[in-house]
This record gives sequence, structure tokens and C-alpha cells, in this order.
Amino acid sequence: MLRHLFKLIWNKKKENFLLISEIFISFIVTFAVFTLLVNFYRNYKKPAGMTYENVWTVNIGSTGLSKNKDSLLLVHENLKNALLSLPQIKAVSYTGNNTPFSNSSTMSGLSYLHHDVSRVDMYRGETSYGKVLGLKLVSGRWFENQDRAVKYSPIVINQVAVEKLMIKNPVGTVLGNKNENQLKIIGVVEDMKDKGDFLAPGPKMYTISDTGSVAYMSTILLKVSPDADANFESKVYKLIANSSKGSNVEIGHLTEARRKKNLEVLIPMIILMIISSFLIFNVALGLFGVLWYNISKRRGEIGLRRAIGASAFSVSSQLVGEALVLATFSLIIGSFFAIQFPLLHVFDLPAPIYLTSLFLSIVFIYLLVIFCALYPGKHAASIHPAVALHED
Amino acid sequence: MLKNYFKIAIAVLKRRKFFTFISLFGISFTLTILIVLTSFLDHLLSPSYPDINRDRELYINKMIFRSTKNDYFNGGSPTLYFYQHYVSTLKTPYKLAIYTEAENTNAYQNNKKIVFEQKYTNIAYWEVYQFQFIEGKPYNQQELKNADHVVVISEDARDNYFGKNVLATGKYLEANDIKYRVTGVVKTAPYLDFYCYADLYLPYTLSKQDLKTRNLMGGFSATMLADSKTDLPKIKAEYLEMVKKLPIDKTEDNMNVINSYADYYLEGYSRSLSSEPDNGLSTLYFYFGLFIFFFMLLPTINLVNINISRIMERSSEIGVRKAFGASSKTLTYQFIVENLILTFLGGVLGIVLSSIVIYLINSAEIVPNLKMHINLTVLFYGLLACLIFGLLSGVYPAWRMSKLNVVTALKANN
Repeated sequence: MLRHLFKLIWNKKKENFLLISEIFISFIVTFAVFTLLVNFYRNYKKPAGMTYENVWTVNIGSTGLSKNKDSLLLVHENLKNALLSLPQIKAVSYTGNNTPFSNSSTMSGLSYLHHDVSRVDMYRGETSYGKVLGLKLVSGRWFENQDRAVKYSPIVINQVAVEKLMIKNPVGTVLGNKNENQLKIIGVVEDMKDKGDFLAPGPKMYTISDTGSVAYMSTILLKVSPDADANFESKVYKLIANSSKGSNVEIGHLTEARRKKNLEVLIPMIILMIISSFLIFNVALGLFGVLWYNISKRRGEIGLRRAIGASAFSVSSQLVGEALVLATFSLIIGSFFAIQFPLLHVFDLPAPIYLTSLFLSIVFIYLLVIFCALYPGKHAASIHPAVALHED
Repeated sequence: MLKNYFKIAIAVLKRRKFFTFISLFGISFTLTILIVLTSFLDHLLSPSYPDINRDRELYINKMIFRSTKNDYFNGGSPTLYFYQHYVSTLKTPYKLAIYTEAENTNAYQNNKKIVFEQKYTNIAYWEVYQFQFIEGKPYNQQELKNADHVVVISEDARDNYFGKNVLATGKYLEANDIKYRVTGVVKTAPYLDFYCYADLYLPYTLSKQDLKTRNLMGGFSATMLADSKTDLPKIKAEYLEMVKKLPIDKTEDNMNVINSYADYYLEGYSRSLSSEPDNGLSTLYFYFGLFIFFFMLLPTINLVNINISRIMERSSEIGVRKAFGASSKTLTYQFIVENLILTFLGGVLGIVLSSIVIYLINSAEIVPNLKMHINLTVLFYGLLACLIFGLLSGVYPAWRMSKLNVVTALKANN
């Protein structure tokens, strides 16, 4: 039966060429869309690895501040104590401008034995940094004050970095860092999704701020209690603006920054979905029309089959089967192209994502074709042999 | 003759309503998406309030220190010093608007927080950009020189801070913990015009940047307004010459090249797509063309498919006409015309649909203050797309049909 259908299609390959290429392109479109969706969904399902509720970022700017490190340090320390004296503020940490959900990033490289990992996000904070962002330790410990003056600079890295560096027992391992002195891992934290909910967390490392880096500490992270309102915020704002004399101050909320960061992914995704669903709907209509036309052209043949005893079911299933074989041709060609993505590592995505979306788009295309062929098939089955044969 | 074709086309459309629906749906929706896309690009790129002189302007927003020996690379916007000491030496006359990128600041009022984007500008900024002052006027040279705490605010900022349509000129606005006197209110600039959009415009002397520095890189972008369009290539060349002669700071990491360009508006964006010294425009056009091609491919193949079915249905008509001596050329011509008529109908529908979609997008405020509209350029491109679409989807079926043998065509009369 199947071989017979293949033969039927193969004999008419010239007529079916356009239909095949149409299904092929729709397959490619659905494959691309599913790849994105599966990727986003998988990332979305991952735990956030941090708490962003009730965390404020205060950008105090680096210009206009005193160039003298010691006086800067003093200003920072005084401001921090003033902030901590407010009852609504639970924890405070100075950090660089690469706060979660911001557009800036600081990158570095790590190497262990022969594994070089580049583009490692680097976060600099104080001992309270982990507490403010609610980072969860997997093993080892977070920074303490005595970590500032030791031979190897201590760092905390995340799980992705451990995987990429292929370290078995990360805590206590000494790493080489390009350009800088050697680093010692003191702890491993869960991956935080600080680039938005839909993007996979990359390798990250955390270091402790010291007197040398104070000029780069242009942002304050504040953990506040849930009852902190705009009134309180304006109080904090005045306090900070007064002490950071001159430079521009901005207070942001991580929840808001996260919402905006997610929209950057969501809006293009929604537009893409609208456009591609329109394309698919268009193709479905076209498929439906062409199959309908083909059936009306083959009334004689169908009438004859009915006359010699084929059941209504076998007639309609033959037509649906033909459409499916047609789709199979396109899917074979399409899968050949799609399978190149995981094989050649075209984009930096794990292979399971491609395979899942390959599977999903194959199922989707089959469903679409069945859906479009079902009604014309049913219509064909209802052709009365006497009427159809009489026409010829 | 054309009238006849028209009549036949309408008759055919009426006969098979389902096919007609599919074709019209495909054409109109494809066009709707193309028109919405072009009007968005039109909104981004064509001169509009307040940057109405865009075709006489060049933009400077980047300076790159580079080394050809190692991969040292440092980029940023130039300094005020660079504009005052180097750009001012160009011979062709122009006006130079100098401004910073917009940065966020906060204001608090009645237990409400307002986020403002602020920009520091010079006086020429108000001459280069044609802002419409709803009330008041821009700050003047004296105020700039004295570093007075004065501000020009946008209409949105006024409505937000002082209340809707409350006169603001002369009143004080407190942002960044500083009290500014409002000198004027301007109609809000489009959000996606990064050179113009801000809530608060302040004299650059209030900026926290180091204004006395003799470095070349740091903080300020500029727009040059030439007297005429023909001066632009001259200014670009002079600018390049001037950049070549800039003193290179030998102490900095082996850096031996300084790159900076005075760019046309689109060039300013496309430059990042390509490496120096190419402006990346061709790369941009290539990707855009590729996208449009792939986007139109599917609906076109779909239409070709349907058109073939429709035409083959009329094989007996074709057979008869051929038997009576119509040439393949005449028939091809007829079917293409029929197709164009269909596409044109779809085009009209598409324009109606896209005005609805654009209206919805505008009122949904996805991007604040986004006002897209179908203008004549967009309409022209829409119709052009229509024509290409009609030809693309009409030629192949017509060609296949005209190759039909008279005998087979007549025989297959169902």
C-alpha cells in the first residue's frame, strides 16, 4: 500500500514539485520557530538562582567622584553605614555597573589545565553581595572579610563555569586567569539568570571588591523590606544624592528591570509568532485548495474505485495517505537540512533542543497536512460511483 | 482588450469563491506585513519631527582607538574638546549640535516616582533640531555660560510632573535632587530617535563630565547640519582628513590608529555590522533583502500553486482559444493581467488591513510615543511589492498553461 502510494507520487513528481517545496519551506519555518520556543521554554523552566524581589539598584556614576581612592573609600563606607541604619534596608553591597538585568557586562577568561573558557561574566561585590541577591551556594562558602589579603585571589563561580572548565572538585582548585594573578575557587553557586528569564545563564565568576577596584564600584545594590514605598525611596535618593555630590543618581528596581529585559525577548518572539502563524495558515489554506482541486480532477478514478468495491474509508484514507507521503518527501529533505544544525554546531545550542524541535515540527507538519487533507478526503469518499462514472 | 480581461477576471473570481478567498487572504496579509514593516522603517529612518533636516545632516557618535599590532580596541563617543578644537577646523560651513546620550534620573513627587531621561546639549542643538516649543523657549548662551540650573522639558515630562496641560514655564522641577527652572516645553520627540529623545534637556555646562579634559574620547555625540546636501561629501572628506591628523597618545597600549566618521543617519547604525573602514550599508541591505525574499517566498509559492490549479481548471477554455488561433503569448499576457488584477484587489485590501494594524499598534503604545503612519512612500513601496508579487506568482502558471497542448486541453474538459 505504502509503496504503491510512493510510486503514485513519484510518477507525478513534476506536478507535485511546488507542493513539496511549499511543505519543505513551511517545515523549515516551523523548525526555526520551534527551536526558538523550545530553547526559551527550557531556559524559562530553569530556576532563577537569585531573588530579585525588593532589590533596588542605585547607579551613583563614577565621574565627579573624588579621584583619591582613600577618600572615595571613606565616602562609600559612610554612605553604606548611613543606608544600613535605615530600618527598611536589610543589606547593602557595592558592585560594578553589570547589575542583573542591566545592559552592561564585564567579561573575563578562565583556564584550568587545558580548558580555556572565554566570555565569563565577572561580578565584583562585597561580602554582602550574595546575601543581597539571594545567591544559593552549592558547595564551599561565600566571601568573608579576611579574603581580601591572601595569596591567591578567591573567587566563587557558578555551575556552568564548573561544567565548562570540567573540574571535578572545584572548591579549593587554583585557576589561571589570563593577564591576572592566580585565582582560587572558594565556592560554587547556582546559576543566576541575570540576563532575563528566557536566556540561558553563561559561565560566571564572582570576586570580592578591594581598595584597588573602588573606582569601578559605581552601583549600590539594596535589599529592602517589602514595605519600602516611593516615599521611602525618595528619602534614600536624597541621602545618596547628597553624599555622592554632583554625579547623576538613578534608583531602579530589579523586578522592573527584569520585566523590561524579558520584553526584549518576548516582543520579537510574539511578532515572529504572528508572522509565522500567518505564513502557516496561508500554507494550510493553499494546501487545502490544491488537494480539493486534485480530488475534483480525479472524480473518475475515485468513482471507479468505489464501483469495484472500495469502502468510503479506504478512499479517503488513500487521499490522506497520498498527502502524507507528499509531506514525507518534504520532511526527508527538510530533516536533512535541519540535522546539520546540531551536527555542525551552527548556533551555540545544545543538541537536544534541535532534536526536540525537529520532532515537534515533524509532528506539526503531519498534523497540518492531515487536517488539510481530511475534509477533501471525506468529500472524495462521498462521491457516488454512478454519478462520477456517468460524467466521464 | 484590457476591459475584456478585466471582465473575465471578475467572472473567474466570482466563480470559485473559496479559491478567490485564499488568494486574496494570502496577498492582503503578506502585503499588510510588508506595509507595516516599511512604515516602521519609514518611521525610523525618514526625516520627521524634530529632525526634519536629516538629508542635510551628518552624525558623529563614535571614536575608536585601535592597534594594528595587538587586538587592543577602545570605543566611545568623543569629547567636547575634540569638537571645539578639531571639528571646528573644518572649512565647509555647518552648524554643530553637541549633546550627550540620554541617561536616566529620578524625580519624586507626591509619593510617586518618575523616571526621566536627560540629555545635556549646547545652544546650536535647538537650531539644528527643529523642536516645536509648546510654551517658553530654549536656554540661551548666557544661561549656558553661567551654568544656570535651567531645563527644557518634553510635553510628556510636563504632563507627568506638573499635570496635564498645566503651564510649566518659570516653574521649578526637581530631579536628581537638583531644582531646575523650566524655560520651555517641547513637543515630545519620537522614542526611537536616540539623538533627540529625552524628557529633560539641560545645558552641557551642568554635565558631570570633565569638560576641561584634553582627551579625545568621552561623552558627547554631535550632529552636523550643512547648508546644502551637496556639501555633505565634502564635509565627510574633510572630517576624515582631520581624523587622520589627530595626535595619537603613544602611552596607551600600542594604540596607533584613531577611527571616527561623520556618518549619514543609516550609516551610523550599519557601521557596527561591518569592520572598518566599510560602512556596513551593503551588509544591511543584503540581510534586509534576504529577509524580504524568504518572507515572500512562501506566500508566492502558495499563490503559484493555487494559480496553477485555477488555470488548469480552465483548460477547456484555453484549448478552445488556442484552437481558434490565440498565440501562447496572448494567453500568457491575459493570465498575467488577470493575476495582476487579483493582486491589485488584494493590495487594496492589504492597505485597508495595514491601516487598521498600524492604528492598533499606535494606540497599543508598545513603544511609547510611536506614531507610525502610511505615507506616500510607504504606499508606493506597498504597490510596488504588490506588482512584484503579482508577477512572481503569475508568470510561472501562465507559462505552464501556455505550453498546454490543444488536444489534451480540449479533452480534459471537466
